[in-house]
Amino acid sequence: MTRTKLYVGIYVVLFAFATVQALVEFAGFLESAYWEAFAAIMVLSAIKAVLVAAYYQHLRWEPRSVSYLVAGGLVAATALTGAAAFSIL
Amino acid sequence: MSSHEHGLPPKSSISRWFLTTNHKDVGILYIVTALFFLVFGGVLALLFRIELWEPGAQVLSELSYNQSVSAHGLLMVFWFISPFAFGFANYVVPLQMGAEDLAFPRLNALSYWLYLFSGLLFGVSFFQGSTFAGGWTMYAPLNVPAYIPDGALGATTAVLALVMFVASVTVSSVNFLTTMYRMRAEGLRMRDLPIFSVSILLTVWMMLFAFAALLAALMILSADHIIGTKYFVYQITQSGAVTRTVGNEAASLLWAHLFWFFGHPEVYIVFFPALGVMAETFQTFAGRRLVGRKWFILSMVLVALQSFMVWMHHMFLTNINLTIKTVFMATTIGISLPFDLMMFSLIYTLIKGKVRFKTPFLFTLGSVILFIVGGITGVFLGAVVLDYQFRGTYWVVAHFHYVMVGGATALFGGLYYWYPKMTGKMYDEFLGKVNFAMYFVGFNLLYFPMFVAWETPRRVFEYEAGLTVWHQIATIGGLLLGASFLVMFYNLFVSLWRGADAGDTPWEYATSAEWAVSSPPPMDNFPGLPSYRDGSLSFLSESAVAARLRGDGTASTDGGDPTADGGVATGTALDTATETHLETEDVEHADHASIWPFAVGLGAFLTMLGLSGVQQGTIVGTEYAALLGVGGVVTFGSLVAMTREPFHAPEAALAERFPYADVEKLKLGMWVFLASDVVLFGAFIGSHAFIRVAHGWREWHNLIPAEHVTMPGLINTYLLLTSSFLVVLAMVAAKKGSRRGTVLSLVGTLALGIGFLVNKALEWQHLFHVHSEAFPQGWDLSTNVASSTFYLTTGLHGAHVAVGLVICAYMTIRAWNGAYQGDPDAIEYFGLYWHFVDIVWLFLFPLFYIL
Amino acid sequence: MFYVNKLRDICYRNDFYLSLLLTKDMAGSWLGAHIDGVLLHAGDVRAPADVFGDIYQVFLILGTLVGVVVIAYTLYNSYKYRAQDGAAPESVDRPSLGELPTSGGGGRKLFLSFSISAIIVLSLIGWTYTTLLYVENEPAQHEDRMDVDVVGHRFSWEFVYPNGHSATGTLRVPKNELVQLHLTSNDVFHNFGVPELRVKADAIPGQTTTAWFVGKETGEYAAHCYELCGSGHSYMDATVVVMERDAYREWYNTTSGGNETEAVKP
Ligand code: HEM
Ligand SMILES: [Cu+2]
Ligand SMILES: [Cu+2]
Repeated sequence: MTRTKLYVGIYVVLFAFATVQALVEFAGFLESAYWEAFAAIMVLSAIKAVLVAAYYQHLRWEPRSVSYLVAGGLVAATALTGAAAFSIL
Repeated sequence: MSSHEHGLPPKSSISRWFLTTNHKDVGILYIVTALFFLVFGGVLALLFRIELWEPGAQVLSELSYNQSVSAHGLLMVFWFISPFAFGFANYVVPLQMGAEDLAFPRLNALSYWLYLFSGLLFGVSFFQGSTFAGGWTMYAPLNVPAYIPDGALGATTAVLALVMFVASVTVSSVNFLTTMYRMRAEGLRMRDLPIFSVSILLTVWMMLFAFAALLAALMILSADHIIGTKYFVYQITQSGAVTRTVGNEAASLLWAHLFWFFGHPEVYIVFFPALGVMAETFQTFAGRRLVGRKWFILSMVLVALQSFMVWMHHMFLTNINLTIKTVFMATTIGISLPFDLMMFSLIYTLIKGKVRFKTPFLFTLGSVILFIVGGITGVFLGAVVLDYQFRGTYWVVAHFHYVMVGGATALFGGLYYWYPKMTGKMYDEFLGKVNFAMYFVGFNLLYFPMFVAWETPRRVFEYEAGLTVWHQIATIGGLLLGASFLVMFYNLFVSLWRGADAGDTPWEYATSAEWAVSSPPPMDNFPGLPSYRDGSLSFLSESAVAARLRGDGTASTDGGDPTADGGVATGTALDTATETHLETEDVEHADHASIWPFAVGLGAFLTMLGLSGVQQGTIVGTEYAALLGVGGVVTFGSLVAMTREPFHAPEAALAERFPYADVEKLKLGMWVFLASDVVLFGAFIGSHAFIRVAHGWREWHNLIPAEHVTMPGLINTYLLLTSSFLVVLAMVAAKKGSRRGTVLSLVGTLALGIGFLVNKALEWQHLFHVHSEAFPQGWDLSTNVASSTFYLTTGLHGAHVAVGLVICAYMTIRAWNGAYQGDPDAIEYFGLYWHFVDIVWLFLFPLFYIL
Repeated sequence: MFYVNKLRDICYRNDFYLSLLLTKDMAGSWLGAHIDGVLLHAGDVRAPADVFGDIYQVFLILGTLVGVVVIAYTLYNSYKYRAQDGAAPESVDRPSLGELPTSGGGGRKLFLSFSISAIIVLSLIGWTYTTLLYVENEPAQHEDRMDVDVVGHRFSWEFVYPNGHSATGTLRVPKNELVQLHLTSNDVFHNFGVPELRVKADAIPGQTTTAWFVGKETGEYAAHCYELCGSGHSYMDATVVVMERDAYREWYNTTSGGNETEAVKP
């Protein structure tokens, strides 16, 4: 039963973070301080993603090896994006 | 013994081969099919080798020449070499690791049929005007319709054939990984796997990620062909005049990055199985254990990891910066070092051996020699200043043929090595040696002159007259190499009847388990449950297994305490496995025949062929529309039929499952698939980011109309988050046994998902028809590169949502009928997928709506 | 002996070891002074063609050596340890069916040979890396260089000179001048290369790449396209004409912003 409460709590957080992301734009931060706003928005997305993965996909309670599996894909995709973008800077 | 054939017709019956899901049958199908594509690609090669007899175009027209070269490369790299290796993998790996079959036998058959039909589809492309003619590397923008003469139908089909091939590879990777982690014989730790199985394991890991990146590239390319997005073209030029620009400075580089990010791992994907065969046969025919086995394996692991960090050595002559060139030079050289170790390890394994020069060993020994030449010439290429000159010349051609076809040489050794096991017959040794002699001489006559004549540019028929003699020698070598295969096929074919009985173990000093069973092995592979608990292979009788399970159940895992609570998991893997095993005692010999994998493959073939008739958003003929319709119905119908068909692949009661002991096999399969999907979406998002960086990150806004606002995205975020939450509730309800709760939550999910799609459709409609000063014609798929990335990336996500909704609808109906109560696994696995789609959106929303 | 001389030769002519020890300016002035007091024109510059020639030779020699030794050793071992009929019973422990795989002995030897190969490869690459830095950075040292834009078209090459003069099919350059090419493409991906001058770079639509060379002998040099670009790819050639400096200047003065097309192969 407490598990269900936890799920509800996370849902509320996710909802709130999404709203905050939109508010950052509505408040005009993207005009005044683009890169700071950029960082804030991406960090919020990352936190949301981790919450969904950890609790809704219950990676928290799976063997670590499952998380490593997914992390492998994530590292590969990040390496591709990062190195490719860097190569033309 | 018909019950042991799992309801399959005998091998002599044609229908057997359409119905089978058995790994040994599928392995043989793979091998035979791969050899067919070898001949296909080989004939094309001989065609252009003859063209190269003298400079200039005599035999083939210019475009035919380009088609032959391109099709040859694609066929050999995709449809021959890897599938050939995976024929052995299918046949041998389950035997080596002590499994009765792969984890998902029907998916395995599906992989095969997708593979076969993708190859046939590629064949069809020749008859649609012309097939793809832009080289196997498919550089942009020569790969888009604007630069393909006389309509791109055949080229589109070729691209779609590749997409289908990648689908086959992905299914197969998921299957192999699940199998190898969950179905090893008791006492067989990961590190104890025979070396060929280790090589396949690492190959599959690379495949999982590398092919996902290729899939992204190919899907984008298909979109450029079919719906007219503009990813891979910077400007369209007609007879010298620029007619169209789309703001995509990164077009060509993007393709190069995506392709080589796949392409370099691919060369190891091709080579690793060969390495496994080399090590396996060196041990057997020298009668020695592999020297430094641990280091050999470690080297392979390092290479597999690092293979994803060397791709830009194919791009040294583009405008990538010096820093990144330095990094990639270092990683390239770094990756060559483990190979040194592996080669030395093989060579030292011979010492104190009792070397018998049987045909398989001759081939693998030859392969080692060829690889040494290929490796050394690769180091030349790793020196960037040298590469600057070798790039685009026959040096590269010679290098990669020495390594790739060198690797294939070992696989031919593997064919001779396992032939007695697969057929029960011995091939003719004399003919085998003749085959090898012709092959080896032919090979070197063909490829070595290319080093000498390296100044010849690649993929041309016009070359310096002074080099003619070298090209003539190469052509002669090519013909000899081709002829050597006639000897091989004759030998292997005739020996099916005339060959001596091979016995269980024709090779002295062979150690792995496939040699401990009859030739060919029985349907269930082993006379009992294989176990290595006592340090060597033994087969446990049913009663021994039962005793073991009653007595000391903990003996079976090295993955932690099997009775520990697995959190939300519904019981421990061991319990589940035991239950299934005992429960299904009587259905264990259940029907393992299924026609649906074949039907899905056929349906996909028709669909793809129909799709090739859609060019830039318009369909070119009613026959294509019909194909599309029929194909869609066949595919969907067969998938549903396959889902509803009773099919049981029991897991062994005792097995080594580290490190996934607590992850049920379907769940593990789902996670493995999701990991590859992470790379797919990662590559899509990465492509968007790369294009945007190249264009100027903040100038990007100028490509987007003001009407493109945040609100629809935010609403969709809310919808998707809520639907995710409902799936969680559905699972909780099912666990508690509340049918009402389950159905309600699933219906809610369905409704929200549909809402998501409807909202998106409205938004797109609006954007398609904006009328602003900057975008008087609206903002559609082909307006500019920003619109292309927006529609395609969010569209791919939308397609994931749609697939999820179909599954969700199916589950809702089942839940209504009372399914899942107290057994929420299926909902949980669907949830994994749905939440993943949710997570992707969490990144698409800011990237495409806010930033 | 020839090889030893050759190697020494290369070491002497190699200014890159120096530039590792000295700052770039010091190395430059030292070399300049060493050669003939002042750097007059680019005739003394070590052109990419020289760089390539030296490195290629060293790689070829070492590569052949290593290849021959390793292959010979492999064949020797397999022959030496061949199975012989009626051989005396041996004391070697042979693998048996059904055993769990383990290592054979000989790890020490393995690491020794691995280390040797690693040292050879790493030092070769380390050395060529310094030449890479040279090749990449040298044009910036020559403010008097000649800059030419090269544009790939299906299926011809267009050259645009600093004064805006554009010519298709032929690039004229003065002897002993450092020529920096800026390449791009008007349609698809091409690659421009002049094998004898050892200059090559991709020509990518939407992007600009650079490459440089010095023509030290007058004459005509063939250029080709090295990236498949369509049906005319095999014929996509051009000519680079290296002229005496005076003759070049004379010719250049007759040009202005106009176009000129010289004979291209069909
Ligand atoms: C000793 C290790 C190796 C090194 C240092 C190396 C290095 C390179 C480099 C730098 C290139 C790019 C050449 C260019 O296009 O300018 C290249 C091309 C290639 N290599 Fe290797 N390589 C090695 C081993 C292998 C292996 C094991 C394979 C496959 C089994 C392989 C297959 C290829 C292929 C297919 C290409 C050409 C792709 C194309 O342009 O069509 N290489 N190699
Ligand atoms: Cu590579
Ligand atoms: Cu070309």
